[in-house]
Amino acid sequence: MLYDIFIDPFVQMVTMPDFFLQVLWEGFVTGILYALIALGFVLIFKASGVFNFAQGIMVVFAGLTLVGLHEHGIPAYLALLLTIVVMGILAYGIERVVMRPLVNQPDIILLMATIGLTYFLVGFGEFVFGGEPKQMIAEQLGLPTGSTAFEMGERGLVILQHIDIAAALIAIIMVTALAIFFNKTRIGRALRAVADDHQAALSVGISLNQIWAIVWFAAGLVALATGIMWGARSDVSFALEIVAFKALPVLILGGFTSIPGAIIGGLIIGFGEKIGEIYWGGLVGGGIESWLAYIIALIFLLFRPQGLFGEKIIERV
Amino acid sequence: MNAIMTSEEMPQVAAPTAEREDLLRVDNVSLSFGGVKAITDISFDIKKGEIRAIIGPNGAGKTSMLNVINGFYHPQVGTITWQGQVRRKMKPYEAASQGIARTFQNVALFRGMTTLDNIMSGRSLKMRKNFFWQMMWYGPAREEEIEHRKKVEEIIDFLEIQAIRKTPVGRLPYGLQKRVELGRALAMEPDLLLLDEPMAGMNLEEKADMSRFILDVNQEFGTTIALIEHDMGVVMDLSDRVVVLDYGKKIADGPPEEVQASQAVIDAYLGVSH
Repeated sequence: MLYDIFIDPFVQMVTMPDFFLQVLWEGFVTGILYALIALGFVLIFKASGVFNFAQGIMVVFAGLTLVGLHEHGIPAYLALLLTIVVMGILAYGIERVVMRPLVNQPDIILLMATIGLTYFLVGFGEFVFGGEPKQMIAEQLGLPTGSTAFEMGERGLVILQHIDIAAALIAIIMVTALAIFFNKTRIGRALRAVADDHQAALSVGISLNQIWAIVWFAAGLVALATGIMWGARSDVSFALEIVAFKALPVLILGGFTSIPGAIIGGLIIGFGEKIGEIYWGGLVGGGIESWLAYIIALIFLLFRPQGLFGEKIIERV
Repeated sequence: MNAIMTSEEMPQVAAPTAEREDLLRVDNVSLSFGGVKAITDISFDIKKGEIRAIIGPNGAGKTSMLNVINGFYHPQVGTITWQGQVRRKMKPYEAASQGIARTFQNVALFRGMTTLDNIMSGRSLKMRKNFFWQMMWYGPAREEEIEHRKKVEEIIDFLEIQAIRKTPVGRLPYGLQKRVELGRALAMEPDLLLLDEPMAGMNLEEKADMSRFILDVNQEFGTTIALIEHDMGVVMDLSDRVVVLDYGKKIADGPPEEVQASQAVIDAYLGVSH
């Protein structure tokens, strides 16, 4: 038993390095995708202190809109553009109908509002696009298909799916762009200002309404990217919403307000999940992938309740 | 309840400042929250270029008054005339874009950001290059950023806070935070600067510094200032005219010496039973 837990997995890692690398790569890609979802949550949490329960369904909604438009005969790139417009309208609508009337209400009420929003989007999405899973139009969007195998001499080979490589690249570009945007521009500064202190932000003439609309739009764009990438790996269906809640342990790890935290947290969960499942899962009959992330997050909570990069919780007495 | 004074009993405004043009007039403003009356029928004016103090015991409605002026609160009754334009309601965003800047009683800075970024945020309204260039952080947006940085550096020099330019303000001692907050308000190049207890919690030396900055701002930039302050020495030294509130009502208005001698003011501060 002890041998199975503490020694055997490592022996396997060393004796079959090609397989181990393959597992690492899988973990990396899943991690990046978790990070993308978490990023959507972080954006909105940072700017408004709202935990956006609807982020998961926004991913599904964006994916469905894209595929649905294409099914109606609109060329892929035009459909992509239109979906971006739709996400913009959605952001504006949410700011107008949900956020603005509820400004200064307790956080729990805003959370409830986003739960309401979730069910609205589920119903609306099913009404417009139907409930069936759809195939993501990855090929039409020019995303690469196929795979490359890397030979490792005598040791076997590692297979990388091109779509995974593209997903990783797109995620990295988005994250970098957002980081620059947040740190270097006037609007980015305004976003951080709103996150820190609403009243002070108002007093220097920052419009909360405008900022919130921008943030929800940014979160919508992240949702769209996530929808395309997740969709291309499986398909676009309402089940994706559940995957989005994998972002919760990521957020606990990384801290709710930190963009780098979302990335590192995503990677830790991604790697942890895959390695745990492959090398230790067998001991308890497999299937630990679905809950291991939460266990990792709980253990972290014991030591760093604010997350890896979250704002320190300091109470002055 | 305290006695209501008739207008004849109120000290009248002194001559020199009275002749100046009104920057802001408040007429018969009343503000209540549910059944609680915060401000009852207050009228006063702020002249261009003066330093106007608003004083009164705790809970007198001073901060509420500032909140009305910069649009955080909307009075149920009364009007506010800003640079000749009458208004009842105004959003904080509009107040800021029309030249009203303020600081807060409990420092309201963007704690995670550096001193430099905090003061830069005061330039938000002056920076108008479009969203696209902002996204690219290139071309016009970048030039604009550099140009505004210059202005911000001038303010940093003026307030003598060069040493803490890159420090996150959450880490600064209280006195310096207040100074950064003043800097952020100055970055807006306001016509009217509202200061809510700029010297609360400061030691003597810090108070002297802050007084000097306030006077300099008033004299060098010609900025009109309305300030709330509890330190009577400071109020008497700095201000041209003083308005005194108690229980949401105005009990005196005039130059410092006159207000100081007013029986109603002395009663309010010493807590004479009414």
